[in-house]
Amino acid sequence: MTATTSKPLPQSEATPLGQQLRGLLAFLGSQEFILALGIVLLSLAVYADNPRFGAERNLLSILSNSAYIAVAALGMTVVIITGNIDISVAALLGVLGTIAGQLAVHDYPIWLAWLAPIVFGILIELFIGFLVAYLRIPAIVATLGMMSVLKGGLIFVTGGAWIYDLPKGFFLAQRQPLGIPMPIYFMFALTLLMAIWMRYSATGRAIYAVGGNREAARLSGISEKRILMTVFGINGLMVGISTILFATQFTTIQSTVPPGVELTIITAAVIGGVSILGGSGTVIGAMLGAILIRTIQSGMIFVNVSAYWLQAVQGLLILLTVLVDIFRRRRQMSAIGK
Amino acid sequence: MTTQEAPQERSNLQLSIRNAFLGQEGVLVVIMVIAVIVLSFTSENFLTVDNLLNQARLMTEVGLIALPMTYIIITGGIDLSVGSIFGFSAVMLGWLWKEQSFPLEAAILASIVIGTLSGLLNALFIVYVRVPPIIMTLATLALYRGMAYGISQARSARGYPDWFFQFGQRDFLGIPTQIWFLIVASIFAWILLARTPFGRGIYAIGNNEIGARFSGIPVNRYLLFIYVFAGFMSAVAAFLFTSRVSTTRADSGTGMELDVIAAVVLGGTSIVGGSGTIHGTLLGLVLLQLLKNGLSLSGVKGDATIVVIGVVLILSILINNYIQKRFRQ
Amino acid sequence: MQPILELNHISKKFPGVQALDDVHFDILPGEVHAIVGENGAGKSTLIKIISGVYTADEGMMHLEGQGEVQFNSPREAQQAGIATIYQELSLYRDLSVAENIFTGHLPRRRFGAVDWPMMRQQAREILHSLEIYDLDVNRKVGMLSVGNQQRVEIAKALSRNARILIMDEPTAALTESDVEQLFKIVRLLQERNVAIIYISHRLQEIFTLANRVTVLRDGQYIGTKQVAETTEGELISMMVGRTVDNLFPKLETEIGAPVLAVRNLWRKPFTLGVDLTVHAGEIVGLAGLIGSGRSELAQVIFGISPAKSGQVLIDGKRVKINHPGDAMRLGIAYVPEERGSQGLIRQMTVQENLTLAVLRSLTQGPFVDRNAEKTLAQQMIEQLRIRAYSREQIVNKLSGGNQQKVVVGKWLASRPRILIMDEPTRGIDVGAKAEIHRLMSELAMQGMAVLMISSEMPEILGMSDRIVVMREGKVAAEFSRAEATQEKVATAMMSEQNGSGDATVIPSQDPTPVSGGMSQQ
Repeated sequence: MTATTSKPLPQSEATPLGQQLRGLLAFLGSQEFILALGIVLLSLAVYADNPRFGAERNLLSILSNSAYIAVAALGMTVVIITGNIDISVAALLGVLGTIAGQLAVHDYPIWLAWLAPIVFGILIELFIGFLVAYLRIPAIVATLGMMSVLKGGLIFVTGGAWIYDLPKGFFLAQRQPLGIPMPIYFMFALTLLMAIWMRYSATGRAIYAVGGNREAARLSGISEKRILMTVFGINGLMVGISTILFATQFTTIQSTVPPGVELTIITAAVIGGVSILGGSGTVIGAMLGAILIRTIQSGMIFVNVSAYWLQAVQGLLILLTVLVDIFRRRRQMSAIGK
Repeated sequence: MTTQEAPQERSNLQLSIRNAFLGQEGVLVVIMVIAVIVLSFTSENFLTVDNLLNQARLMTEVGLIALPMTYIIITGGIDLSVGSIFGFSAVMLGWLWKEQSFPLEAAILASIVIGTLSGLLNALFIVYVRVPPIIMTLATLALYRGMAYGISQARSARGYPDWFFQFGQRDFLGIPTQIWFLIVASIFAWILLARTPFGRGIYAIGNNEIGARFSGIPVNRYLLFIYVFAGFMSAVAAFLFTSRVSTTRADSGTGMELDVIAAVVLGGTSIVGGSGTIHGTLLGLVLLQLLKNGLSLSGVKGDATIVVIGVVLILSILINNYIQKRFRQ
Repeated sequence: MQPILELNHISKKFPGVQALDDVHFDILPGEVHAIVGENGAGKSTLIKIISGVYTADEGMMHLEGQGEVQFNSPREAQQAGIATIYQELSLYRDLSVAENIFTGHLPRRRFGAVDWPMMRQQAREILHSLEIYDLDVNRKVGMLSVGNQQRVEIAKALSRNARILIMDEPTAALTESDVEQLFKIVRLLQERNVAIIYISHRLQEIFTLANRVTVLRDGQYIGTKQVAETTEGELISMMVGRTVDNLFPKLETEIGAPVLAVRNLWRKPFTLGVDLTVHAGEIVGLAGLIGSGRSELAQVIFGISPAKSGQVLIDGKRVKINHPGDAMRLGIAYVPEERGSQGLIRQMTVQENLTLAVLRSLTQGPFVDRNAEKTLAQQMIEQLRIRAYSREQIVNKLSGGNQQKVVVGKWLASRPRILIMDEPTRGIDVGAKAEIHRLMSELAMQGMAVLMISSEMPEILGMSDRIVVMREGKVAAEFSRAEATQEKVATAMMSEQNGSGDATVIPSQDPTPVSGGMSQQ
């Protein structure tokens, strides 16, 4: 057992070559690389079975369909890093979409219809943050309650009616600059921005710190409450943007909550490598997670597996990732003698 | 005797603690009485035997699952997958009978076994792999619901024989049959929690799991049991539900975990564990059903009533927290 | 030379304990000043006052260049140039080495962005200045060995320009080669005029490393010595030098046949091949420093963390204990060290706690027999003179001594033949202490086998028929009641070489236990 050897651990050999090699190995073992590899291999396998899968139009549509999930998963990742969770996102998505649609259909300026979901998204999530950070309600229950309030409220107010006759300019997600659907730009740009922000801003690092070692974070003067508010605020921003991509993709908006979407978003975040125990995770992983789910979904259609199995696959994916995460942490612990 | 040597102010303190507890259930009863009075004035249909029995019929399924959920939340855990186990078991009942030509009796039995096994899967990972209950049951929330959709291909099964409806639509000794299930299960659950070493162990785990282990309480076995029990009760509830609505669909029980958790928390069980009672949960359940009934009588459509449940859930946690804080001082 | 830090007349009281009483301490720049004392002597309290975790009730702290100071938070002490490395390292496992070094003061560029290249560069420079060349600043700290994590902590302290570095038992969890590395770094820091306050139980380390050493005992200042002018023997007698008063009514007992015996018991990393025997009617005192593996041994025997190999014999018969239930069935009871977290369910009542361990035998059919429960609780309350308003009182509202009596009562209710008591009188008042000692003695007279773990020397010497000393996971020495003295026991606890010829020295095969921090089991 390593715990009783008195030899220093292998990190002592640090020749430049050794460092490069280790860097390479770390990259190959990273969640991002595994996910990317998974997406590619899966695509190839489906393609081998049914070449129509490889059509440019299909590949673009997979990416485009991933976008709103991916953007919401960015926010979810940040929330989960602090050891919390938000299961009200789908309900929020439905409410915000209806707000945007109603504004647009009642001849408010288009920019306002796009801005409103972002503003309301941030406000509602800040309220959730307040419940969690200041009133100490566990995030799971606070968001479960919020979910039903939003969901029920939406039906109460609108009766689940469809919104038709939206103005032409509203359909942001249908635009295709340079032949590439707009959501794809959003997905990549936001992921990049968030990745940079999480890595290079002091707040970004503080978020990891709060999730990783609450006590130590407190000792180094980081305010947990303020970080939690920030985190839920960011989640609101991301859900707001996600709503725009979601609500502008079809010519009508249904004033209901898209079923099961919160699970898809959480799945994307979790298989993207965010640790359920808090403290680690990357937003690039979350984006790749969203793409993987959409690839599986599309692939199932092409190989004639019923799409009704998708949710079961998502459940298995979460379970698998969580198990790998737990065992990986255990191995780490025993490797350093803890 | 040494017990009387303590200063007198302790006794006042204890009285106030007792009052706080009494207060919590007392408040529920008062709210319930007010709700009944208000409802009976606003709608003449409310205070009729038919309506009340029908409301009791409607709350049975949530009530059955709320019993094990009370145990789970007292230990500081949670089970989000109960609605999915419910849907999965219902679908399996219909599918085994209709598509696999099982005798209906066997299909019922098998669906209950399947629900119990679903609970067992949760339990094994939570207890032995130490996956946090939130995450485990969130994953199986997706998994079991997905199984329900996948196996049924979203086709519903209907056309059950007449005797099957005895459980969900008819009466036994003058009251709806499924209420008997709830009564028996409640008594069983109440005795188990209030009168057996197991119940004491559940509270001990919720207050201090390490202390419970150090006292030789079989913590793992108890935890295993409560999650399995939740699976079993979800499946029984699914069977009664199928009999009540005459059809099985893959989306049965979607969002049911919300009602169940709300009833438990409204009944005074602390969301962080350690305290709670079965009679509190039953009070919470009744109150919740009264609220729903009142809303629907005043013309609010079914799905919209969940707003109130959400608000009730959050408010009752806030009130709980407040009481706990006062109780500590 | 002017002291960089000087403390005078420092006192600190906690409920029921005078942790520090009129203590003096000073340290010069570039000096390594060790603080020694037994468990509970007040070392931790002293360094927590210096590092701003506690504030002193009385006394003054004088910091060079700043005059009179008082720190109200760890942050204030950090800003004044005082850094502390605790045994439990406060690092972020998921952040890189460089980030950990600069937590709280990351180098920034415009717009508040973290300047990564600058941070890495500076992190490397700090590490190089400590002659550490083999640590990749991009690695996650969670992947490092304990020794390397500690180096990161030291670098972190230096990045804040610490002038005073407090190290609390820095070698407790290190391997031998890591210890050498650490000493090298300490000497480098000395050359840079950093003052180092060094807490350690290992006396040889103090003689290799320190310039001066201050001895504390029971919260009192005993003295400060130049290391060059003192000896191990002198330090030990300063640390333990008190008279054993006759507080403990140890009764003479008839020692019977062996009841509990363990043979070559292993569970890494704290139990490394232990042999131990306890006879009927005997009180065996298990002495040792914190971290020597005493509580862990008790928990192995009680089945909380079952043994990986070795034998447990009850009445000479081999038994298997895999969880506390097994141990209880064999007549073993364990009064644990941590009353609050391990011994009691504090939110429950006195009665519920007293009957918790035996509830499953107090049943009529499947139900708890409430009358039997009441009777038992009442009996225990009277037998142990537990002062509670009623059986229904919440345990948390009782005094420490009465809480401890509830824990003891809970286990006596199980009618054990073997009673393991872990720090049975820690943090309780004198009266309750005497009662517990009397009880222990009476139980032994009735033929119970008692294994008592204690960090209090008078308790060990006063109560035990036989004293077993553990060090680093092994039995280091054994003394009969007659031959035991404070010096002999303390020497066996702290020192590699054994001072006394008549002590039984168990040869050790594997002298380097490695552990990360404390065991939480």
